[in-house]
Amino acid sequence: MAPDRDETTVRHMAEALGLTVLAGSACLDRPIHGALVSDLLSYVMASGRAGDVWITIQTHANTVAVAALASLAAIVVAAGFEPGDDTLSRAEEEEIPLLMSSQPAYVLAGRLFELGVR
Amino acid sequence: MDERSIGHFEFPILGRAYFLGGRASTSVKKALREAGVDDDTVQRVAVACYEAEMNVVLHARSGYVSVDVYPSRVDVAISDRGPGIADVTKAMTPGWSSASDEARALGFGAGMGLPNIKQQSDLMSLESEPGQGVVLRLTFYRGGGNGAGS
Repeated sequence: MAPDRDETTVRHMAEALGLTVLAGSACLDRPIHGALVSDLLSYVMASGRAGDVWITIQTHANTVAVAALASLAAIVVAAGFEPGDDTLSRAEEEEIPLLMSSQPAYVLAGRLFELGVR
Repeated sequence: MDERSIGHFEFPILGRAYFLGGRASTSVKKALREAGVDDDTVQRVAVACYEAEMNVVLHARSGYVSVDVYPSRVDVAISDRGPGIADVTKAMTPGWSSASDEARALGFGAGMGLPNIKQQSDLMSLESEPGQGVVLRLTFYRGGGNGAGS
């Protein structure tokens, strides 16, 4: 599925923010419609909209289940936290792009906002 | 409520298996999509189902989710064997949770689960037998309902 030219995709975000792609590299052309920052899974289930990027410091495999069920575009793990292999394999299985950065969530959110993701 | 079910699915839920949490709900989401249920309804069922599934994982020994698809609605029942809920009114209060510190460290136990379920569903009933378990019954009207997620 080819995205619109001016639509921010997960790939575009990864390049602009210098994120490391850990899993779901086949799904990077997914468009981003918004974003949220939270480490509470229920908050994400209640507030996440389809196509949102989720910035979190949670790293366990349940984050992938939440992202898949809420139809999120991608998970960005912030502040240098590293997801384990079980999280990575679940992300591949559920086709959820999983990315990481050493930058804190606040900075990542600010840069995503600057990219035009609102 | 006299419509005939046009699809029935059941999936097991393992208590305490944190890292398998969401498997049953993911299966429900896929099954509903394959049954041709609209995206908005599928989304609402998926979110409510996940919260209910995690309640079973966090608090009970085992359980299962049962789904019936009707032309105009989707019925979901989540049943478990476990301690039950001593005070349903308290459990429905946003922010109240009996989750363990371990669960809270993983980002669960915000006390938002049952309120989220109520918000996503059109009808909700919660029966609990302390020491036995919980049966949560939900109805989602297809193609409309409460409009959450749109």
